[in-house]
Amino acid sequence: MLEFDLFELTKATVTLLVGFTAVLASLGVILCSSPIYCALYLIGHMICLALLFLLYNAEFIAAVQIIVYAGAVMILFLFIIALLGGKKEVQEPSLERTLAVFFVATMLGELFLSATVGSTKPIEGGFDLETVAEVGGSAKAIGLELFTRHLVSFELASVLLLVAAIGIICLSKFSYVPARRRMK
Amino acid sequence: MGHQFVLLISACIFCIGAVGFLIRKNPLVMFMSVELMLNSVNFLLVGYSNFLKSMDGQIFALMIMTVAAAEVVVGLAIILTIFRTRHDMDVDHINTLKG
Repeated sequence: MLEFDLFELTKATVTLLVGFTAVLASLGVILCSSPIYCALYLIGHMICLALLFLLYNAEFIAAVQIIVYAGAVMILFLFIIALLGGKKEVQEPSLERTLAVFFVATMLGELFLSATVGSTKPIEGGFDLETVAEVGGSAKAIGLELFTRHLVSFELASVLLLVAAIGIICLSKFSYVPARRRMK
Repeated sequence: MGHQFVLLISACIFCIGAVGFLIRKNPLVMFMSVELMLNSVNFLLVGYSNFLKSMDGQIFALMIMTVAAAEVVVGLAIILTIFRTRHDMDVDHINTLKG
């Protein structure tokens, strides 16, 4: 007798649907000629990925994905598009482009092959769902790991953000002036 | 859904991003394709951290998000600087450094 678990079935269906929506939205990003539509498709793609993160029990990462990517990064993209004016891009087929598509299609085939063939024995860590629930949610579990075992990389990430901020200030303040204007 | 679904979806998104980076001419859209590739890797890491019952994948995804944010900010500033000096949004025309 086949036993149906309605919850698992619904979860699998939703995961499948959201995954395919994410792939379709990423296709929209590279196929639209106007950058503003690309940005909108990218926002849809990132929200789909946040849903997938939720479905794979990573609530904190899903929230960070929404706030950092779909919020901050995409707002930055939209500001730049508004500033530069989203001109439509004319796509003419050329040999290099066709070659690039063939190259990546081969890569995709190889990735599919390596994904479906063969299996290695996984090494499991100590954070199953019950342990995470005992600790008090995925945010707390991530914090515990991040501030004990991964402290150095955390500090390095903060230094990286500081360097990026200083770099931005340098780029926008002492930016390059065209040679013709400098000669005057 | 199992391992294979995560692997196939993230391989698809990564390759779509790679194609986008190679065939588009607008630097903004090229940056968006880079974001697609980084996002697909994030999905793979989060999925596998769920399967392997470990938090390391999620922490690595967090690091990737940090790097992506820094990269986008610097990249968009460079694009803005180039646009201010050239008024041109085609990467094929920015070839002064080409040998």
